[in-house]
Amino acid sequence: MDQDKKIRILVAKPGLDGHERGAHVVAYGLRDAGFEVIYTGLRQTTKQIVNTAIQEDVDVVGLSILSGAHLSLTRKVIDGLKAEGAADIQVIVGGIVPDEDVPLLKDMGVGEVFTAGTPVSAISDYIKNSVSPN
Amino acid sequence: MSYLKKDIDRIAAAEKEWKQNILDKRVSRFNLPKSPTVFYSPVAVKNSEFLEKVGFPGQYPFTSGNNPFDFWRAYAEDAAKMGYRPDWGGAGGVGKYGGFGTAEDYRDYLIRMHAMGRVGGPNMAFDLVTQCGYDSDSENAEGEVGRVGVAIDSFKDFATIYEPYTGDMDIDKVPSNFTINAPAAVIIAMYAMLAEKRGIPFEKLRGTPQNDILKEFIARGTYIFPPKPSLRLFRDTCTFCTRRMPKLNINSMGGYHIREAGATRVQDLAFSMANAAAYIDAGIKGGLAVDSFAPKFTFNAFGGSMEIYQEIAFQRAARRIYARMLKERFGAENPRSMMIRQPITAHIGCSSTTLQRPLNNLTRAVVGGMAAGMSGGMPGVFPPYDEPLGLGHSQEAVQLQIDATRILIYEAKVADVNDPWAGSYFMESLTDEIEAHAMKEIEKIENMGGAVAAIENGYMQKAVSKSAYERQKQIERQEVFVVGVNSFDGDNEINVSVHREVEATYDPELLKTAEDRQIQKLKKLKWERDGKAVVSALAVLKSHAKDESYNLMFDICECVKNDVTLQEICDVLRDIFGEFQQTKL
Repeated sequence: MDQDKKIRILVAKPGLDGHERGAHVVAYGLRDAGFEVIYTGLRQTTKQIVNTAIQEDVDVVGLSILSGAHLSLTRKVIDGLKAEGAADIQVIVGGIVPDEDVPLLKDMGVGEVFTAGTPVSAISDYIKNSVSPN
Repeated sequence: MSYLKKDIDRIAAAEKEWKQNILDKRVSRFNLPKSPTVFYSPVAVKNSEFLEKVGFPGQYPFTSGNNPFDFWRAYAEDAAKMGYRPDWGGAGGVGKYGGFGTAEDYRDYLIRMHAMGRVGGPNMAFDLVTQCGYDSDSENAEGEVGRVGVAIDSFKDFATIYEPYTGDMDIDKVPSNFTINAPAAVIIAMYAMLAEKRGIPFEKLRGTPQNDILKEFIARGTYIFPPKPSLRLFRDTCTFCTRRMPKLNINSMGGYHIREAGATRVQDLAFSMANAAAYIDAGIKGGLAVDSFAPKFTFNAFGGSMEIYQEIAFQRAARRIYARMLKERFGAENPRSMMIRQPITAHIGCSSTTLQRPLNNLTRAVVGGMAAGMSGGMPGVFPPYDEPLGLGHSQEAVQLQIDATRILIYEAKVADVNDPWAGSYFMESLTDEIEAHAMKEIEKIENMGGAVAAIENGYMQKAVSKSAYERQKQIERQEVFVVGVNSFDGDNEINVSVHREVEATYDPELLKTAEDRQIQKLKKLKWERDGKAVVSALAVLKSHAKDESYNLMFDICECVKNDVTLQEICDVLRDIFGEFQQTKL
């Protein structure tokens, strides 16, 4: 990793679901792993998430979704980033995602999907290996 | 269990000797920094006054239980002979918790359930749009309408759900549950107005609204207004229910949600007790005598870990703390005011279950059932093992869950003894310890100004997320072990899978169109209703909302009756109360 420039990550909770334990834990963990982490808080529309990602000039958007709406919400974020010319921002997804939906998310362009029981160190290793700060 | 001082001195001396001659030697033989096990002697129990600290089941301080036996235990043998199956009913006469789509969709579903003999009052889950105080046509509602529960925009929607509830199942005969918090006042008003429309006296209404807004700030996140005005709305529902609907439970408070959000056991206990104190205070400040409303407070669940001894002690400590708080701090005299009324006692948490080798979750849930059976509750095995798979529970998992509970009741006879751990040096000492830690934390919160202040300054929220992170670090450092997750996950282990069939509870085609249909209905309602009445009802609500001395329930009832929508009511209150801004991490 470039010593001067840290990788910037937006941890985001799209929709009205308020279960944010996972988002909090991942945000704390990635921050302690040396990333710059911004947490959106609850009740973000996908549009707000795209805007924040661009304004904050992040390298990665981590979506935390436990509501079952991961396919539609993720697609909206990825399409939104593309439409704003920010397709280089990598999107990763965490939460409750059935096995059969993982390839669907990856086809959409999601870098990786992290489900229950994943150590934060695995997420941090993934980001270190696949993203460089812009 | 009471010892004379000279006996205790003798035991303490012997214990010291045992430590040196047996324990320490063994610890050093195995080259350990400290012993991995603990043994408790009478010395551990500092004050062992049985009547003061434990008492008989059904007597203050309720440490050994609220009752010698509950309803379900009284008729357990009859239930076995008639093959009673509990999976379609909730506690206390309501049907299974559920809800989806539009009010019409959910109504039709209930009619089908009734035709199958699955009766009981409605036990409603609301969609997140309703829970957060929006209508289905709001920008924030997109994609969420009717998803995790039924969509309620207006009194008409609410009344639609109740269409099948007439005759023997009218609302003066069956109870209802409403899992609703921030807009609880609106839903309670709808229930009252439904009774009025049907000519049923409010006094006959039974049921339970969750109405526990404080834990939403700490855990579940479906808040609307800041804590202070939220508590004012609670006060208004509390006084309204006490005076007009005395059979209705006022709330169903949860510690479990707080634990699932990451709180430690002690935080869970302290925060939920502090919340309860804030609600009781609100009722008293609303002009009520504590014994007039505290008996109608309920708790939905407490618990949420695999540590069976600690969870049993937790239940005992919780009952004692609550009873003492009500009696000593709030001056309650009615024993029913002092009881933690809850449908079950201990259980594991959904966060205790693992996606890895999920059948192990059955074993885990049985441990929770044991903790419940040994702490004054039905040995309820919860949740079904496929909980973390996120596809809904399969019929097989539910069958195993129900059977496991039955095995604990009928074969293991877990629930045939009240508080079987009473008098154990270990359990009494652990109960004291959890109580002492929780009391210290409660005192800290009271010194800040109580639960509302500790939410406003972000103390509780930060404490919970820090504990969640701490737990995660412990797992990653292997300071705690979770089988199949951070240990025993090597190549020698095999994955065990079983056949599962998930019943599609709700019609996916209806779910797809629910949002459109709900929006069309809302348009029609707004076109057809008496616009003048809407404007004037909202204006009155707005002016009264500015003055804290008003009870807003009457104005909200007036709004509901005039087809003012849920969001319109909440928006007026948002204008006056503001919206809650969560503390930054």
